[in-house]
Amino acid sequence: MGETGAKSEIPQEWLEEFEAASKRDLRTRFRYAFIHTYKPVLDDEPFRAFDTTADYRRWCEENLPSWLGYGRV
Amino acid sequence: MAAFEYRQAEEIRDAFSRHGVRYLFLGKSGAILLGFPDTTQDADLFVEKSPENGAAIVAALRDLGFDLAEAQAAQIERGKDFVQLKNGPFDLDLIFAPDGIEDFSLAWRRHVEVAGFPVCHIDDIIASKEATGRAKDRESLPRLKAFRDYWLEQQE
Repeated sequence: MGETGAKSEIPQEWLEEFEAASKRDLRTRFRYAFIHTYKPVLDDEPFRAFDTTADYRRWCEENLPSWLGYGRV
Repeated sequence: MAAFEYRQAEEIRDAFSRHGVRYLFLGKSGAILLGFPDTTQDADLFVEKSPENGAAIVAALRDLGFDLAEAQAAQIERGKDFVQLKNGPFDLDLIFAPDGIEDFSLAWRRHVEVAGFPVCHIDDIIASKEATGRAKDRESLPRLKAFRDYWLEQQE
């Protein structure tokens, strides 16, 4: 666990977003937070299981379009 | 497939509780439960790897309406490290061995409860995102770390 940072170090715009979110109830936060867009390849199979998380990461890199952002940098 | 809804999170919570599943919300869905204002597409659950928990997960998922063939259920029961489900009423990722978190019991010891939802501590959520090394996680990390500082101050 790391050190606690000071609020003053948080960019003002983000701080305002965090404070606004803290005033919303959980149900409302959910409504704003979860979206659904079609992700090619990833969404095309109803079930996938990988022996290891490393296998999953490798599969993502080899099979998903790079613009989805699942590749390692 | 529509976006994941609060009602569905409640259904997970209630079904997993009925079957005694040991799990934690992880990833951005966990951060959102803690209050992080951002968007995501589906829920990530860190589930304990054990034969009992695997069987409980399968029973709970079937209660929720996931259409699991026997071979698929067997893979969950065996505890494959990463299972991606898109054969139910909503998308769900089951992660038995997330990057950056040593084991379930350690994460459970420092987890947070939000409206009955068991959620990984913000530091574990950040650790797992840092460990993936993915472009999409790298982009969200600075804001998530700023939220951590805000959230910890709120807890004092």
